[in-house]
Amino acid sequence: MKNLRLAVRESRPRTVIDVCGVAVGRDFVVIAGPCSVESEEQMMASARAVKAAGADMLRGGAFKPRTSPYAFQGLGLRGLKLLARAGRETGLPIVTEVIDPRDVSWVAEFADVLQIGTRNMQNFSLLKEVGRTGRPVLLKRGMYSTLEEWLNCAEYILSEGNPNVILCERGIRTFERYTRNTLDLSAVPAIKELTHLPIIIDPTHSTGRLSLIPPMSVAAVAAGADGLIIEVHHRPEEALCDAAQALTPAMFTDLMGRLRPLCNFMDGLPE
Amino acid sequence: MKLEGLHKKINKIDRELLVLLQERMGLALLSRKLQKSDADAAREEDALARMERLNLDLVKSSFSRQLLKAIIDESRRLQEEERPLVAFQGEHGAYGEVASRGLVPEGAYIPCLEFVDVFRGVEEGEFDLGVVPVENSLEGAVTQVNDLLTTTGLKVIGEIKVPVNHCLLATDETDYREIRVVYSHPQALAQCRNFLLRNKLEARPYYDTAGAAKMLARENPKASAAIASALCAELYDLDIIKQGIEDEASNSTRFLLLSRQPYDGRGDKTSIIFAVAHEAGELYGVLKLFAEAGINLTRIASMPLRSDPSNYSFFLDFEGSLEDENVASVLARMQEMTISLKNLGSYPAGKLAK
Repeated sequence: MKNLRLAVRESRPRTVIDVCGVAVGRDFVVIAGPCSVESEEQMMASARAVKAAGADMLRGGAFKPRTSPYAFQGLGLRGLKLLARAGRETGLPIVTEVIDPRDVSWVAEFADVLQIGTRNMQNFSLLKEVGRTGRPVLLKRGMYSTLEEWLNCAEYILSEGNPNVILCERGIRTFERYTRNTLDLSAVPAIKELTHLPIIIDPTHSTGRLSLIPPMSVAAVAAGADGLIIEVHHRPEEALCDAAQALTPAMFTDLMGRLRPLCNFMDGLPE
Repeated sequence: MKLEGLHKKINKIDRELLVLLQERMGLALLSRKLQKSDADAAREEDALARMERLNLDLVKSSFSRQLLKAIIDESRRLQEEERPLVAFQGEHGAYGEVASRGLVPEGAYIPCLEFVDVFRGVEEGEFDLGVVPVENSLEGAVTQVNDLLTTTGLKVIGEIKVPVNHCLLATDETDYREIRVVYSHPQALAQCRNFLLRNKLEARPYYDTAGAAKMLARENPKASAAIASALCAELYDLDIIKQGIEDEASNSTRFLLLSRQPYDGRGDKTSIIFAVAHEAGELYGVLKLFAEAGINLTRIASMPLRSDPSNYSFFLDFEGSLEDENVASVLARMQEMTISLKNLGSYPAGKLAK
């Protein structure tokens, strides 16, 4: 951690990031929505469903970093516009991934939070570019990365003069094959020791299994995470991407009903 | 070329044909003013015969005669309708046309290259009415128009506020990431200054917002976009890259409706232009009259006099009609206190255009 200057905890107060009135780092924040923006109807239905269930922000991918060049690559600019419209109509701030440095200023025109995906965590030119926009950045942990490597990536964004970095643990590769990745929940208290930045958990991509998403979400709250990012699709069986791991609106509503009392309980615990 | 690409091109041409027809019909309405209809028949036969000789092998002469005849019949029908001719500055799709539609719902809207063409055309009777922007909420007075208001003899008979919602437009062949240059009217470019700076785009002034959109659609210059209304995207078949790119969301422009005759009625708002001697307290003396008469001013603007740059014209808009007793007496007093006083007339207070 010796190279870190701005990301280290030291005596700094915890960072609270204001995203259109949502205080990340102070309140427990839930970001939900489909993996990718597919159509106006799908985006609006998903946005209304997650809003009704009590989500704080809306997610959706317009540029998709896919393992295969032949898989659905996202709707691009058209997807961004649909996402922005869904955000405007529900009043939810929007979070979307940017994968190409040439797109950064344009994505920043539409999105409230720029997401850097796990595959791009160490794409340093991209990190500098999002650092320059000043927009809040959701920095996912690389699936093969140590905490130190991850925090150095946060340092890249901070050093460009953008203090608004939200870290997101999304699981790392281990020898275990039953789950898609292994969710490293110990990252939450470790990150809290090391830095002043907020950290949220992605229970969807880390487990890759529907049945594991609710228990790991509950565990994330108990571990002291600042929020969750969860995939919700209004009709998961029709999703163009990651169909098997998206919650239905009913499942998401049910999960939210369990999370809120738990958050209140955690707030009441003695330090 | 793929089938989809061919269909796209065909649709584009069809759209252009219709937009051209719109322009043609406008010209036909203008010509009615200058020429009696009995001269029309000979001109018509002459035009039809000339087109027949064009010798396009896919457009048979019988078909072109039939098509042109249908167009001529339609334009004759339009001429019968007696629509008022309303001039605005810019091309079809300009904010001036949006304002014209709001002010004169059943008009024929005629594009003009310059503001002076609108003023002169109305003065000389070529057009019945003119619509000009007088001030913008972000950029202030439109100086050219204010100057023309002082130098011409037209009356104001109406006003309207048009919400300005600028869009960044490009052809569908343009990759938004490659856009470097943005064409638009200087006012529109100024209203989107932060957006252009943020995205490192170069502003290129053009005579009109809609004109920039039209040029983009026709010439498709490399790495270029235009700033214009969403109506222009529809009219000229352009993609909207982003809507609402102006620096302040509450951006609106106030337009005036001009006529040779004063407003036929009482009106509840009045506009005047005056100049006072360059002496201490002169302007204050005039404004005091309004204060004492309890008349609410809605706009005060000043502009250096062209003829005497050390002195100023003042533009005043206020609530009330020339027929109101307090307004009439203030204006009578002003006659003595000013070196020039021009009354643009009373008119109904404006609404917001949709």
